[in-house]
Amino acid sequence: MNNFEPRIVAFLCSWCSYAGADKAGSSRKTYPQNINIIRVMCSGRVDPQFVLEAFKEGADGVLILGCHPGDCHYKEGNYNILRRYHFLKKVLMELGIEEGRFKLDWVSSTEDDKFVTIVSEMVKNVKSLGPLRNEALI
Amino acid sequence: MERIGVFICECGPNIKEALNVEEIAKYASSLAHVAFVKSHTLLCAEAGKALLKKEIIERNLSRVVIAACSPKEHESTFMKIAEEAGLNPYLVQIANIREHCAWVISDKVIATEKAKVIIRTAVSRVLLHQPIVNKEIDCTPDALVVGAGVAGIEAALVLAQKGRKVYLVEKSPNIGGRVVRYEDVFPKFECATCMLDPKLDEILHKNNIHVFTYSVVDEVLGYFGNFIIKIKKKARSVSTETCLGCGACFEACPVNVKNRYNENLNERKAIYIPFVGALPNVAVIDRKNCLHFRNKATENTEEKKCEICKANCPFGAINFDDQDEIIEIKVGSVVLATGFDSFIANKIPRSGYGKFENIYTGLEFERILSSTGPTGGEVILKNGESPKSAAIIHCVGSRSKKFHNYCSGVCCTYSLTFAHIIKKKSPNTEVFNFYSDFSLAGKGYHELYDKALEDGVNLIRTAGPDAVEVNEDAGSLVVKYKDAAGKESKLAVDMVILSTAIEPSEDATSISQLFDITLGSDGFFTEEHDKLAPVSTTTGGIFIAGCCQGPKDIQSSVAQGAAAAGKILSCLVPGEKLKLEATIAEIDEKLCSGCKICIGLCPYKAIYFDKEKKVAAINDILCKGCGICSAACPSGAVKARHFTSCEITAEIKEIMK
Ligand code: FES
Repeated sequence: MNNFEPRIVAFLCSWCSYAGADKAGSSRKTYPQNINIIRVMCSGRVDPQFVLEAFKEGADGVLILGCHPGDCHYKEGNYNILRRYHFLKKVLMELGIEEGRFKLDWVSSTEDDKFVTIVSEMVKNVKSLGPLRNEALI
Repeated sequence: MERIGVFICECGPNIKEALNVEEIAKYASSLAHVAFVKSHTLLCAEAGKALLKKEIIERNLSRVVIAACSPKEHESTFMKIAEEAGLNPYLVQIANIREHCAWVISDKVIATEKAKVIIRTAVSRVLLHQPIVNKEIDCTPDALVVGAGVAGIEAALVLAQKGRKVYLVEKSPNIGGRVVRYEDVFPKFECATCMLDPKLDEILHKNNIHVFTYSVVDEVLGYFGNFIIKIKKKARSVSTETCLGCGACFEACPVNVKNRYNENLNERKAIYIPFVGALPNVAVIDRKNCLHFRNKATENTEEKKCEICKANCPFGAINFDDQDEIIEIKVGSVVLATGFDSFIANKIPRSGYGKFENIYTGLEFERILSSTGPTGGEVILKNGESPKSAAIIHCVGSRSKKFHNYCSGVCCTYSLTFAHIIKKKSPNTEVFNFYSDFSLAGKGYHELYDKALEDGVNLIRTAGPDAVEVNEDAGSLVVKYKDAAGKESKLAVDMVILSTAIEPSEDATSISQLFDITLGSDGFFTEEHDKLAPVSTTTGGIFIAGCCQGPKDIQSSVAQGAAAAGKILSCLVPGEKLKLEATIAEIDEKLCSGCKICIGLCPYKAIYFDKEKKVAAINDILCKGCGICSAACPSGAVKARHFTSCEITAEIKEIMK
């Protein structure tokens, strides 16, 4: 169990959050490599299908990061994903996917530290949950 | 058969030292459809770019993956090179192996493995990319400016360049906004009217600026590049062509009403010119108060309708039959410069405003100082005497939890300006400024503070904006205050001036709805980005300038007016087409069930319902490509170009392989 390295798919909006992750890089902050970043234009672009697909393909966790409320480059995309997130979380729990495996948060382009903290905590949590047995999705 | 080229940038030592580039290159060559792999020390340098271009052509590559820094750094650089090499720029994908890999993983072996995943994902994604062509549309370079204050005037003058028409719409009967009603403005005490007059004159006489005073925007249709706008020109009842502004009409008019252009400090007639020197110098009939129209309204036909002004006009300029007129114009862009309102001081009962005499707001006092104002510029009390003492109270309505949280930015400066002018006009008047903090940032502004000390103005620091109260005692005004040390004191004065806050104009909400822009929590128009895009809005083609965007001084308002105009000049050029966003949404009519979910979600109102086909349709001009619609479509009918569900799913699959 100790050697378990979870694989986490992270959807980052192209404006604030992707830039926040970039900033973690330019300031040479190291963080667990378990995170795999997919760029989307806005967090509101994240289709519930993508989340289900990621879990189905074997992801142990899914992270969505967007701009802070009020800062979305497209006015309200992050409010859209927020509504969808709460709903989707319930569906996932019905499917036996624990709450800690699915997370939504806001990271601005200057918040490299926050990005690193979110990623590190998520990896830690998912590690303690162990690998996802995803029969429900297959 | 696809031929993908993978180019790995070593980024000097940045990537090279953190990853095993050779191993990565070998791995990339083993991937399906990869026909060519090459690493280079610095792909974004001239030599690197030349190599990239050469190899794309010579190796006959059909798609390209650049494994390098963040797409935020050089995606557009590499897309341009691909285009020069004859590839559609959207057939390029960036694999971010620097910011998301080399720089954040200290173990070289782990980092190398990670880079392989990133590149493999990019390769599988680029295979699905589709060429996208930027659409171009016809547009009009003409512009609409709403609000003829300093910001709007500056915008209109800058815009009125070769071949462009500018429509300037102003709701009041004259142009010049607030500033034209001020006398001496900070920091150099120059006369605002004198400063503005040549500009106003230019506005009125420039051939390609069409000024609509006493008019409002009634309807806005269309979008960036092609707006169709209806202007409602309210019936002025006086011909702008024949009226010379001689004043014969209002001298004769029997009706007196409060003159709001003098902050209701004196009266005007039912036919009037707001103040001496107002431009255009043409009278207007206030139909609500004019006897001619009031009699008509009650249909009292027996009594002869009043026509005194008409009888007295030597030029036959009065036209009682004048009607509101709707004028339709076509413009490509809009500058909103709709200004501000002043905080209504009687919302704060302890300010004494409205209860006692000789208490004035900042704007009222501006009129008192003006030579065209109610006292001809003399600082006098209601009884005609000059005040022995005056208190100027800062932050009325600003920096308050209950009213406006923000600092209005200009009150400290104008309060010190008032203090100086009072001292100049009547040196024996004792002046007391009650402030809690000074905000005097701006060229030449802090000097006003020194000037106040030199003039012998008493600067009294209070415990906060709420620590001052004005009462009346034995016929005199009494300022009760708690000073910064917490000590309570009282001071009797003859006159009080309240430095009232700048607040959003009363029509800010309706204007924001009309032009589909957003209002901030403070009620001012929201800019696209507070630092990098302060004069544009999230609605394409709508720009904002001056106090409608937030409190500011004259200098900044003028600068914003010019900036908004500059933006328009550079994006809408006569004879050129408007380039549209390429990565927008697209609807597959065969899949669309017509449920309209996407229509309600689009933040740009870019989706409409095609009633004939019974499907949703995208307006290419309004769509910005966020993809919210695509995520929400239950039948998968909306494709977000360049971020399609297929492309993203392919990325997920490849990561998890
Ligand atoms: S663009 Fe960042 S959440 Fe919408």
